[in-house]
Amino acid sequence: MNENVIQVENLVKYYDGRCVLDGIDFAVPRGCIYGLLGRNGAGKTTIIRILLGLEPPTRGRTTLLEADSTSLPAKIRGRIGCVAEGHNLIQSYKVSRLIRLCKDLSLQWNDELFNRLIETFRLPADRRVRELSIGMRAQLNLSLAMAIDPELLILDDPTLGLDTVARRQFLELAIDIIQKQGRTILFCSHILSDVERIADRIGILAAGKLVVDCPLEQLKERVRKLRVIFPEAAPANLYLTEIVNQQIEGREMVITVANWNSQKQAILETFKPSSCTEIPMSLEDIFIECTRPSAEPLEVA
Amino acid sequence: MFALIKREIQDHLVYFIAAAVFSALLVLVLVEAVFKYDSRNPPVISISLGVAFAAIVTLGICGMGASQMYLDKSRRISAFLSTLPVSRSRILLARITAGILAILILLVPLAITAIFLLRLFTPPIPLYSGMVWEIFTATFLLALACYCIGLQTGWNSSAITPSLGGLGLTCIFVPLVVVKGLGPEIMVILASFIAASLFRTWHNFSSTSL
Repeated sequence: MNENVIQVENLVKYYDGRCVLDGIDFAVPRGCIYGLLGRNGAGKTTIIRILLGLEPPTRGRTTLLEADSTSLPAKIRGRIGCVAEGHNLIQSYKVSRLIRLCKDLSLQWNDELFNRLIETFRLPADRRVRELSIGMRAQLNLSLAMAIDPELLILDDPTLGLDTVARRQFLELAIDIIQKQGRTILFCSHILSDVERIADRIGILAAGKLVVDCPLEQLKERVRKLRVIFPEAAPANLYLTEIVNQQIEGREMVITVANWNSQKQAILETFKPSSCTEIPMSLEDIFIECTRPSAEPLEVA
Repeated sequence: MFALIKREIQDHLVYFIAAAVFSALLVLVLVEAVFKYDSRNPPVISISLGVAFAAIVTLGICGMGASQMYLDKSRRISAFLSTLPVSRSRILLARITAGILAILILLVPLAITAIFLLRLFTPPIPLYSGMVWEIFTATFLLALACYCIGLQTGWNSSAITPSLGGLGLTCIFVPLVVVKGLGPEIMVILASFIAASLFRTWHNFSSTSL
């Protein structure tokens, strides 16, 4: 049995002749919380739409729970919970009607969990979806996605448009539910602190390519930002591979290098720097370095 | 499947109510026309009313198909439903089933009334019962063809050519039926058109982005 719940192979997508996704490959193993990061328009939502079969790919293959995304059978769909960007619920329906519809169409429905969530969120059943605030819509969407006890949960920017308090409340509940039930989760966001809190594997999309795909801890460990001072003018080329970014100002050079190891350390020391200090990097710093337009393509895997 | 059909009916309840109301009105017109029939002095007003109702009904059925598809697209209903354990083919099948139900609500009372009136006013020969069945089938196919045009027009509402094409096809079909009559030839033409139109709708609906 394949342990990868999500499998994306050489995914290519063109919109009006513009390449949005350029050969994306990644896999999400069972039980993993995968954080897919990227700037606005990087293609995160497109990947999710292709995975859910809402959008046809130009090339490549994507599978969810071992079924091809382009023809997901109802049985497989019933095992996937989805919180879409912008919470595309049926706006003209009353909350109670939408809940009834979802319940009628679902293969399984956890009434106990759903009622608990509805009570926690205090969602008004008699109001129309369009009359709810964005925060309430997000909560309703999460409740509906969780009620089917999904094996795979796909969250596409679920906290988009929420204020800080609502975002914190939403994430805490999501984390609580996720930790208790050990699901596989694909979590897309450009709010890095959210992803950092829950993800254990990270993928970073930049210019249509997946430039990072590795565990979060490994990413933090292997991407290094160094401030190097040379006795004279800094050399133009350090002959190091996988330099993500490099800035030179007189004797000072600030470089960001992927897959930092003793070999690279040794190469750097041949230039006899006066000092070499490491600048601590958060996920946000790594993300900014990786998605800079001038950044070299990076493969951290 | 039942939940999807129920959703379609609830969302387009106005068309079902309108179908029932028009059916009742057409039955009244039909009964009045038969009872007041005089070969030397035909009931022109009743016949004119019947023709006007039929035209409104044709456009209404076309409008129902267009409204179902247009609202789906603009409100992204199928995009939401597709995240539930429902395939696109099922969504479309439920939609068409609801459309057929609306047509039947309109036509079945008319057919029953016609059979009843024929029994009252014509000699009991098989010619007449066959005629009612033929007229009912052809009218049903005509209504379904108009509904299919509506489905296509609603889905392609952003493009002018398909929308005008739909209107043009409706304008061709109705006179064609008037000229050819509701016979087997027209049934074959309508059935072929419906099959092609439904296939095209299914292909468009299941292959495009939601």
